[in-house]
This record gives sequence, C-alpha cells and structure tokens, in this order.
Amino acid sequence: MKKYVCKICKHVYDPAVGDPDSGIAPGTAFEDLPDDWTCPLCGVGKEDFEEE
Amino acid sequence: MNNARKISEDLYWVGSSDRRLNLFENIMPVPQGVSYNAYLLKDEKNVLIDTSDNSVSEQFFENLYSLVGDNEKLDYIIVNHVEPDHSSLLCRTAYEYPEAKIICSAQAQKMILQFFDCIATERFITVKEGDKMSFGKHEFTFCTAPMVHWPEVIVSYDITTKTLFSADAFGTFKALNGNLFADEVNFDRDWLDEARRYYTNIVGKYGTQVQNLLKKASMLEINMICPLHGPIWRENIGYFVDKYDKWSRYEAEDDTILIIYGSLYGHTESAANIVASRLAEAGQKNIAMYDASVTHPSYLLSEAFRCRRIVILSSTYNAEIYTPVKIFIDEMKSHNLQNRVFAVAENGTWAPTAGKQMREMLAFNNNVITDTTLTIKSALNESQKDSVDKFVNEILNK
Repeated sequence: MKKYVCKICKHVYDPAVGDPDSGIAPGTAFEDLPDDWTCPLCGVGKEDFEEE
Repeated sequence: MNNARKISEDLYWVGSSDRRLNLFENIMPVPQGVSYNAYLLKDEKNVLIDTSDNSVSEQFFENLYSLVGDNEKLDYIIVNHVEPDHSSLLCRTAYEYPEAKIICSAQAQKMILQFFDCIATERFITVKEGDKMSFGKHEFTFCTAPMVHWPEVIVSYDITTKTLFSADAFGTFKALNGNLFADEVNFDRDWLDEARRYYTNIVGKYGTQVQNLLKKASMLEINMICPLHGPIWRENIGYFVDKYDKWSRYEAEDDTILIIYGSLYGHTESAANIVASRLAEAGQKNIAMYDASVTHPSYLLSEAFRCRRIVILSSTYNAEIYTPVKIFIDEMKSHNLQNRVFAVAENGTWAPTAGKQMREMLAFNNNVITDTTLTIKSALNESQKDSVDKFVNEILNK
C-alpha cells in the first residue's frame, strides 16, 4: 500500500501505521480513509495529500 | 530594573525588544529591531503566556520576578508557539518556578521535548480545540491554528476580557519603543511595511490556514489582540484584520507596478529605467523598483505581495536566470504567491535564454504572464522603441 505525503506540512501517512489517534487502524489504505479525515499534523484534508 | 507594563486589568506585558539582531530566523534583516512579547495574567492563578528569546532573557526575568516574587507561585505557563524565539526561556522559567504546569497542544509538548530536555512530562497539560480553563475571574479557551505558521500553534482567548493571544499572527518586525499599543503609533506610516514583510516572509505560504484562523476568530468578539511580536491591538482591529485577509487571499493591496531587475553592468538596469519611464508617461503612478542584487529578498517578496503587477528584467548568467533574480522568483513560488501579473525581459550578449526560463519558473498557481518577452542584446537599441512600447502596453492593459 502506498504512502501519501501532506503537501502543506510534509507529514507522511503510512498505511502500515494508520492514524490510531483518529481511530484509523494500521493497515488502512489512504483511499479507504474517510472523506473527512484530516492531516494529524496540520489539519488539511485528503485533497492536499499526494502519493509519496 | 524591571520594565513590566500593565496592559489591562490583571494583565501585564513582560517582554522586551532586540535592536542588535542582524537576521531574524537567521535570514531576514531586521534593521529596525524586533520585539518578543510575553504576558502575565495575575488572577487567582498566575499565568505566564509564552516566554521570549535568549537575547532578552535578562529583561524578561527581571520583569517576571517583579510580578511573581519570592513568595509567589507561577501556576501555569501557556505555550502558544514553540519556535525558539518564544520558547528559549521556557526551561529556565520552569526551573525557577518548579510548580508551574505547561499548557500547550499535544504536538507542542512533543516539540518542546525535542528541543529541550528539561521538563518532566507530568508538568504538561495538553489542550485541544475548544478546551477551557479557569484561572479565577478569567476563563480561557484554546483554538488550534495549525500552520500559522507551525503545526503545533494554538491561540488562547480570554473569554472574560475578550482578549486574543494570537501567537505569531498579527505580529510584526520592529522594536517596541515605549509605545506598546498600535493606537499609540502611526501604524500605517511607520509600521505597516515591516508588518507586511514579517507576514509575507514568515506566514505568507500559509494563506489558506490563515483564512481558517480568521474564520474562527470572526466567531469571537475580540476587544484586544496580544501578538508575540509588535504592538498590541485594542482599537481599529478591523484595519489590521483587513490586511491579514488581503495578504492571506493573496490579493494585492496596490494596483501599482513593481519592477525588479538584475543587472551586472547597468544595461539591464537602463532598460528597467526606460520601461519605468514609459509606464510613468502613460499615467501609471507609485511605481516601485528594486535592484535584486542589493535588496534583500525579504523586501522584494513583501513588495510582490503588495503590488499586483510585477515586471522582471534579468541578465542571462551562465545560461540561467541571473542569480539574485532567480532567488526572488523562487521566493515568490515558495511563498505560494497567486493572482499576480508578470512581465519578463531578458538580456543576453550571445544567447538570451533568461526569458524562457523565467516564464517556466513563473508558471505557478494562477499567475499570468504577458505575451511578449522583451529581449535585450547587451543593451537596448533605439531601433527597439516599438518593442518597448508593445511590452509596456501589454502591462498597462492587464
């Protein structure tokens, strides 16, 4: 599964890690993140992420 | 001697200014100095709001000790922003007042522990968007302000007095010279340029995030803004909010023309003067013009945010854009500038290619470039009068 990078703050979403603080389990692909998921570092939406 | 100043009931300013610093963030010249604001709330609890930079540590601690003395406790230190020009004195403050708890975002805690190894984790109280804390008469709430201009930033709002502690937002360069309030100075004449240079260089990239913060702030009634740099706003707040709104939407303040040139021996400079003269003769007022080699990019960037139309003339240098001009264009790109009109002119004694490369570099965001690249071969020739007029008219018509 591909990693995605936030264009604003460069935070990397790693599917292997997920985003447990936001209730996203490890193993969740970026595409499967909810539409209202936001960057845990800077708060922007999925639309501001790109493939690493 | 202490220089703590009373701001309002229960609230004191405990900061200071540095007029000796050469480069802020080790990049931007600050010839008029810079201030570092910190505030102390004396309620049932004593609450320090941010610390300051190392350079003003002596004054900061004299100020703080005068208000929180030997037999008093400092109950809380709110850390709105971890950048070292505000957090450098955190360790010593935490050491001098071992009972003080640190209020900050979870990300801020992580960053503080990355920078410093001095505060036990038990001393942190992390806050999230909308959390509230009462200090006695004063109740505070906290809002996140991610990427204004760091990810961990929060702003703190005193609900009781309607005071917003805005971190780096609404800040400016320039030392505070006795007058702490924006209404005590001629801000438009004496401060606005430094405020713009501060905003555009430090926060300019994050227009969307600033807009988000302005939306949050518009839901609050705000009587006073206490930033971490520069004067405090208690009157005419709308004036400064309007500037922030324009800057963060990348809307130019002035419909005028900015000319930036890079010239080795003065021939491109001469062309720039000729273009400026034609513009002036056609009625354009308030033209701004700078030599990119002798003007620090932070000033050029600030002017690019101010002016709607930007004419760039560059020598070709080792088959590339002349370095100071390249740096200027790169700064505009890095800071996400939008909504501008560019016009480019190139000089080359054998192979003028700067124009093509500038057009490629300037093709970012929604900026437009006028159709014609004016090409100078060593120096403008009298036979090029019509080309110059065409170049100038394209700028006037945008």
